[in-house]
Amino acid sequence: MTHYAMAIDLDRCQGCRACVEACKIENNTPSAVFWMYVFRLEEGTYPDTSISFLPRPCQHCHNPPCVKVCPTGARFHRDDGIVLTDFDRCIGCRYCEVACPYGVNFFNWRKPEQAFADYQLAMDDPDLAAVTGGLIPPYRNPDLDELQGDEQRRTAGSAHYKGVVEKCTFCVQRVEKGLDPACVVTCPVEALVFGDLEDPNSPVSTYLRGRDQFKLLEELGTDPSVIYVGGTPPTPDAREIERPMTGVGNANA
Amino acid sequence: MPTRDMRQPLPMGVGSLTRGWAAVLALGVVGTVVGIVGYAVERTQGMVATGMRDLGTMQGATWGIYIALVVYFVGVSFAGITVAALIRLFRLDKLRGVARMAEVLTVVALILGALAIIVDLGQPVRGVINLFRYARPQSPFFGTFSLVISGYLFASLVYLYLTARRDAAVLARRPSRLQGFFRLWAAGYEDTPEQRARDRRVTFWLALAILPLLVIAHSSLGFVFGLQVGRPGWFGTLQAPAFVVLAGVSGVGHIIVLAAIVRKALGLGKRIGRDAFGWLGLFLLGLLATYLYFVVVEVLTIIYQPGVIEQRLSEALLSGTYAWLFWGSVATLVVPFLILAWMALTRTWRVGWLVTSGILVNLGAIGKRYLIVVPSQTHGQLLPYGIGSYTPSLVELAVTVGLFSLGAVLITLFMKVFPIVDLETEASTELEEVSA
Repeated sequence: MTHYAMAIDLDRCQGCRACVEACKIENNTPSAVFWMYVFRLEEGTYPDTSISFLPRPCQHCHNPPCVKVCPTGARFHRDDGIVLTDFDRCIGCRYCEVACPYGVNFFNWRKPEQAFADYQLAMDDPDLAAVTGGLIPPYRNPDLDELQGDEQRRTAGSAHYKGVVEKCTFCVQRVEKGLDPACVVTCPVEALVFGDLEDPNSPVSTYLRGRDQFKLLEELGTDPSVIYVGGTPPTPDAREIERPMTGVGNANA
Repeated sequence: MPTRDMRQPLPMGVGSLTRGWAAVLALGVVGTVVGIVGYAVERTQGMVATGMRDLGTMQGATWGIYIALVVYFVGVSFAGITVAALIRLFRLDKLRGVARMAEVLTVVALILGALAIIVDLGQPVRGVINLFRYARPQSPFFGTFSLVISGYLFASLVYLYLTARRDAAVLARRPSRLQGFFRLWAAGYEDTPEQRARDRRVTFWLALAILPLLVIAHSSLGFVFGLQVGRPGWFGTLQAPAFVVLAGVSGVGHIIVLAAIVRKALGLGKRIGRDAFGWLGLFLLGLLATYLYFVVVEVLTIIYQPGVIEQRLSEALLSGTYAWLFWGSVATLVVPFLILAWMALTRTWRVGWLVTSGILVNLGAIGKRYLIVVPSQTHGQLLPYGIGSYTPSLVELAVTVGLFSLGAVLITLFMKVFPIVDLETEASTELEEVSA
């Protein structure tokens, strides 16, 4: 058996958000959608404050509340530990979104072709169109169009349809080929480590060995496959600073 | 009014179109069109046209007024079939006059509840298919949609059909434009003693079967929220029973209002007497007292020694963003409680005050439903995403108006094709007239 997991070293993370960018490019996520997200947190009161960073992919829980509540089985848990959404089956009720305590789900509020409107690129510009070939978004990852895994379901990538829910897939299209997720390979300080937890010689197993670890909201019994080392869980006092532009504009705007 | 072919007008105003009826219908149709336009905008632009946004980084609420309406409408459906079933099980003959309209209210409310789910779905067509095709009973949503629609609505329709067959048989013997329709409804039923006994037996067992189904359906709606450990304010054992009770409050309140309108419009002062309203008032009083007790328990639990997130939530609810709605809703439940308690103690049931109470408790019920759905999303995030916000957009309000209007249209239309109050007491004389 395989159990894919990700270790995140908070002592190494410098909050550069390169993983966030890598994820957006690999998975073609629309504007304001962050399958991978990095909190930049501040705690304490001036002048005794401290800054910390907390990358937040989908936790790929072993006891996922989102899978439990899905009324159609579109959200499912693979034997290898990856939690995925079948975009061909999802009806867009967003129950997974309210059930998830980590806030990792994103709904396609707009049509895929409108969803990239906030990138501020003049798509009509002939020079730009010559480069992109009229594609929206300008770069489309061809791997995302394929059905994934033994179950052959449409689970990779983003914005296939309006009105379905999506989230981090651990880059299933890459994992299927034996590659690490985009965020992991992009991280300039190797704060993210991916691999098979059941294999004692995998990068993630060797990295975790002997290190103090915690999981986010472990007390809820979700049993996440994302394991944090170094650092501490965010305290109730933690507040976010330097938020990216995260709002979805009006479709008419 | 000129009667063609010397036809006798049908009882209960069936088939005779009055000006007041037409005005209500016209208003309902206009409202429904507003709703359809709103939904068309939502479909063409995507659900970005609503005020809902993602939880987490987008700091929104992903369930909004639509889900509050689902809960509300399915709640209203409670009363109809309960009242109808109780009348039949306990032989509360004084309430017979409101049984039919209660059944109709249940069916209409369930249709509206289903539509409110559909308008909330990102993929509505796929939803209607997949909710059945890939139905997972493990999901509380199964109870809300698959069970409520396929079980509860179907059972209610069969119940309405069976209990109304006798009236259809009576009316089918008279020449009228609707004769064919009544004959179809009666479907061979001729009100012989054997048929009557069989129908009574079937409806009795159906009523007995519907009662537990109803508790299950409304509880499952509570479980949609109550089973979510990751959402402070939702997780709790009180949700399911509180949903059942508040469903009863809004439903009985609705029946009182509907009964008063029908009584006035059709001049049925005797058929739907004061004592019928008294029974409904007592029923509402009991449910309301239970629900207010739940509210006290709920508030005490979140203010006594709350966790960090619960405290944030309770402050938003009791003195922050949602305070006006919370205290407003509580007031619209406490005031009718006092009115009803006063009337119960003095044993004088005034229809005007009952209707006021019915309207108020429904406003309170909608408010409470909204407060269950929204604040736990905007103020209940466990990771440091910050406080969110949600305001329904014009599109959502238009669809809301449309749903209520469609309900009014369905009930007003039903009133003119079938007696909304059953003819049972008149039935024997009717039959004699026809045979004479």
